[in-house]
Amino acid sequence: MKNKQFAVIGLGTFGYNVAVEFASKNIQVLALDINTEIVDRISQFVTQALVVDATDEKAMLEAGVADCDSVIISIGESIETSILATLIVKELGVKNVIVKSASNWHSKVAAKLGASTVVYPELEMSKKLVENIVTPNILEQIKLSKDYNLAEIVAPKSVWGKTIRDSNIRNSYGINIIAIRKRVPVINDDGQSDIKEEVNMVPGPYDEINQNDVLVVIGSEECLAKIKKDNE
Amino acid sequence: MSKENLKTNISLEAMYMELGKFYFLNNKYDAAILEFKKVLEINSANAEAYYNIGLIKESSNLIDEAKEMYSRALSINSDYKIVKERLDKLIGIKSNE
Repeated sequence: MKNKQFAVIGLGTFGYNVAVEFASKNIQVLALDINTEIVDRISQFVTQALVVDATDEKAMLEAGVADCDSVIISIGESIETSILATLIVKELGVKNVIVKSASNWHSKVAAKLGASTVVYPELEMSKKLVENIVTPNILEQIKLSKDYNLAEIVAPKSVWGKTIRDSNIRNSYGINIIAIRKRVPVINDDGQSDIKEEVNMVPGPYDEINQNDVLVVIGSEECLAKIKKDNE
Repeated sequence: MSKENLKTNISLEAMYMELGKFYFLNNKYDAAILEFKKVLEINSANAEAYYNIGLIKESSNLIDEAKEMYSRALSINSDYKIVKERLDKLIGIKSNE
């Protein structure tokens, strides 16, 4: 199978890190920006880094954007440039175009132009931050669908020392445990105390839930809210 | 403090530290914290005791308290690498390694 190729256009903080992350996973990535200094800086990490004006169709074609399977457009400072770049990348025939949005209107325009995915990291991060502050017992939450979430919750006291089956957590709360995460005390190579994370990825009905365990669960927002309340 | 008293205190400090680690490794967190606190009563500048309490707080998902303990350890010994790494992780600072 041919290796997939990616391009990142716009190497601000977000785009730069996306490109470097791709490269760290040994994925071929083409990194483009109009700023020579940033292109020089990233060239040591990625497959190829070029100085290109994202609003110049010919330059984008010559850079090889049309050969990429997916293109991430991460031009935050100028919505106009981001929109033009999206249009050009679509015209070049790239199927999977991901646009980093700077506002709701930017998202709508990008979607109209055919972007496959629009990400709005600032909005997503702000929601996550508030959620983390408001509900400290819910450590992480990912939206799976309109109604269902995947969440990491601190095991409620009512289930400590019980097996998953005996905890009756599915019936009581309407949630499914898909993994159990725990921190185990260890002595590291330097002879210092440390903690190691262990994850039980396929917990069975007879696995025990202990104090301080973190449960990775799937449930509706309503059910998660219930366990959240009992956990306070 | 006489030399003899100082020697006794150092050995007591080391003994409480080892006892704390023993309880910690055996998941007896409350008992471990008591021992680490005894260490701090003898020597309030023992960064390792703060670090160990921080580990217990982190293991108990008490993240704010863990951060506080790691910060205290670092205020005593700013070169304490493992503590810095744990605190950075909790704050959300990505390691360069």
